[in-house]
Amino acid sequence: MSEPTMRSPLHSFGLSEQAKPIDGSCGVWANELRHLGYISLRGNGADPAFATAASTAIGVSLPLRPCTFASSNGKTILWLSPDEWMIVCPRAQLSALLGSLRQALTDVRSQVVDNSGGYTQVIIEGRNALDVLQHVSVYDFASMEPGRVVGTTFGKSSVYAFRQGNGYRLVLRRSFADYIWRYLVRAAIPYGLGIADLAGSPLPEEGVPI
Amino acid sequence: MFVLFCPHCGEKREEEEFGYGGEAFIPRPATPEALDDEAWGDYLFMRKNPKGWHWEMWSHNTGCRKFFVVKRNTATNAIAGSWTLAEGRKAYDAEGGST
Ligand SMILES: [Zn+2]
Repeated sequence: MSEPTMRSPLHSFGLSEQAKPIDGSCGVWANELRHLGYISLRGNGADPAFATAASTAIGVSLPLRPCTFASSNGKTILWLSPDEWMIVCPRAQLSALLGSLRQALTDVRSQVVDNSGGYTQVIIEGRNALDVLQHVSVYDFASMEPGRVVGTTFGKSSVYAFRQGNGYRLVLRRSFADYIWRYLVRAAIPYGLGIADLAGSPLPEEGVPI
Repeated sequence: MFVLFCPHCGEKREEEEFGYGGEAFIPRPATPEALDDEAWGDYLFMRKNPKGWHWEMWSHNTGCRKFFVVKRNTATNAIAGSWTLAEGRKAYDAEGGST
């Protein structure tokens, strides 16, 4: 048995090899943010014992208002439902964060699950990024305020989408990643799609042991 | 196509984000083993199916993935409101539990 290694669901597109500096040639710039950590957190947000313990363990206040997210120190907490959050963090912080969450929530009714193998993230920006999102989803992204996260349609699939920095982040299921990326590429044809290094910092390499 | 308000997300969203959950507040028989086939069949298969106001469930499939209650007019698609299951139950009972 060989050791399991990390492999992005979009590895066959060779995105990191195509990355070029952003210029005026394309209306849309995109790339994958591969190999992040994804933690599914469930509990009663209305219970102060749960919210306080989780917030302290993560180091970011749990967003309790519907469809909002909170971001700090490279960690992002997405509100998914009144009793469910998704915590996105750098892969290097994943096991420590899982440990501190589980310890902090030992005596509180809750669930902490490592979902890192099940999701990936795509970042999309540029002057026509909004046009592309309007093509692919029924959600009115033009009215999306900063700080909002929505679960909505993407073609025949679905994503969690939020605005961060100059662009939009799409959190998508691994099994739909290929479909969603191809759909995005196709929707961006009228505007020109460029692949850029949008991560800002080095991402974990492909093929390293999990 | 219409727009539904999700009481959990606190937003109006397109119908495409939701899945239909059928008639709301169908009581499960307390003693299923005591029912004859006709009564059990009624519970499983028979619905009010009105032309007009209908209390029904929807689930926010692409969003919070929670069920909630909608009062919709099946003839016109007019929507009287949407509630969480608990709040919807109160509104439904206040109407006398009718369609
Ligand atoms: Zn919802």
